[in-house]
Amino acid sequence: MTQNVQAPVPTKQAAAPTIAVRKSCNPDGIGLSHYVLMDRKAAK
Amino acid sequence: MTNATCARAASVSPLVPVDIGHDVYAAVTDPETAFWALVDKTRIAESIAEGSPLLENFREKSDSFAKELQALRFELTPSGVYLNPTERCNLNCTYCYLPGKQRSEGQHMSESTLVAALTRLRDYFRSVMPEGRLPRAIFHGAEPLMNKGAVFAAIEEFRDDFAFGIQTNGTLLDDAAVDFLTARNVSIGLSLDGPVAGITDATRLTWGGKSVHEKVLKAMEKLRGYGSWSVITTCTTENLKHLTQMVELFHAHEVPTCMLNTLRCTLPGARGVKPADADMGKALFAALDRTHALYQKTGRKLVVANFANILIAILAPTARRLMCDISPCGGGRAFFALAADGSLYPCSEFIGLPRFNGGNLFEGGGIEAALKSDAFGAVTSRNVDRFAPCSDCAIRHFCGSPCPAEAHEMNGGMDRIGAFCDFYKEQVNYALRLIADGKSDNYLWDGWDEGTDTTFLMR
Repeated sequence: MTQNVQAPVPTKQAAAPTIAVRKSCNPDGIGLSHYVLMDRKAAK
Repeated sequence: MTNATCARAASVSPLVPVDIGHDVYAAVTDPETAFWALVDKTRIAESIAEGSPLLENFREKSDSFAKELQALRFELTPSGVYLNPTERCNLNCTYCYLPGKQRSEGQHMSESTLVAALTRLRDYFRSVMPEGRLPRAIFHGAEPLMNKGAVFAAIEEFRDDFAFGIQTNGTLLDDAAVDFLTARNVSIGLSLDGPVAGITDATRLTWGGKSVHEKVLKAMEKLRGYGSWSVITTCTTENLKHLTQMVELFHAHEVPTCMLNTLRCTLPGARGVKPADADMGKALFAALDRTHALYQKTGRKLVVANFANILIAILAPTARRLMCDISPCGGGRAFFALAADGSLYPCSEFIGLPRFNGGNLFEGGGIEAALKSDAFGAVTSRNVDRFAPCSDCAIRHFCGSPCPAEAHEMNGGMDRIGAFCDFYKEQVNYALRLIADGKSDNYLWDGWDEGTDTTFLMR
């Protein structure tokens, strides 16, 4: 006797969640080759 | 993901798909506003279709994003100056953008001239900057410590008027100099090109051919524990395969910030040691991966600032610090450079190129005239929206097609790309993959987003 085997119904995988981030501030850039983290506490 | 898949998805949405080489995510961007999102790479079309939450939310904000980018690109006033207090340098590096004759035989700026220059600069910045914010003044080279007496006198006299920095090859940074600079919170940048002398010596030697590697290591030891210092490695064919060792060396010396810069091919001498774009990417990404592994192992970050700036350009365009990766670049508008003879240039990168001399600080209209000069205008009007292939590039405002000096001298015009177009694209893809994997903060300094507001968030 053969058994009817029902093929599994393909299920749609959940989509990976969308990622989008944007932050804003007053522009403060000035530099070229010297990277100025000059607002950092600098003293030894 | 195929190009055809991207094209089909793009045909129904203003957002442009970009294959970033991630297992799960593709990017979509609005190139004009530097907006981006990461979406399931198998669902791009539905993610950006009419009526999708992403597209609806983007449309609500797109005008404000456009205004923000317009202000960043075209409405800044200068807030910094690169000061070249001497034309001379004690080294003869292969790739230097300054002409050799200047560096070997050039003039120093006298102390009185430097003080007079800073007086004019202070008065100018007071007229254009908000009260309470100090302009940045970076002593740059050639080698500024060749004229140490004048530089230190100027720092002493104007310590309340500028936030000072100095970019030095480190060979003249003795104990007294370190004590003077650190006591005044001067930001200090060194240069080192190899993890061992043999590699550094391939591109950075004295005029007499002597190694400076050990001297720079000693300077690094002196600065250990100081909060505001960094080391630049200029990436060339000579050191590219050693970049991972470089970051290991920097991390071991507790360097807080380093830069692994692609060399600038402005002058022909540099082009002989120019790495291929793919090699540059492979080496840089391996080094970045190593910094991340070191952070996870030790809890201490080594920020690779040039890459951190790309991440920030994506996450918070207006919070970027370096102004090379934006178009127009910062040269001649966010900052400018003063040469030792009093000439004003859009950036130090142009000092060897007389046609970009915008006039003299002490003559005629000084700074204001220079900012309006044709020489500066050639740089400040360079706009990636207006020339191919950048004008069709989905990531053009995360890259900016650096550098105008290089594009002009190497590739024949301001409407040409720079030397590393394919590398910059891959760098943005690498950054987007880190964001997809939730790792981006590990590559940025703690508190990088202090003072920012979140204006868009989906995740």
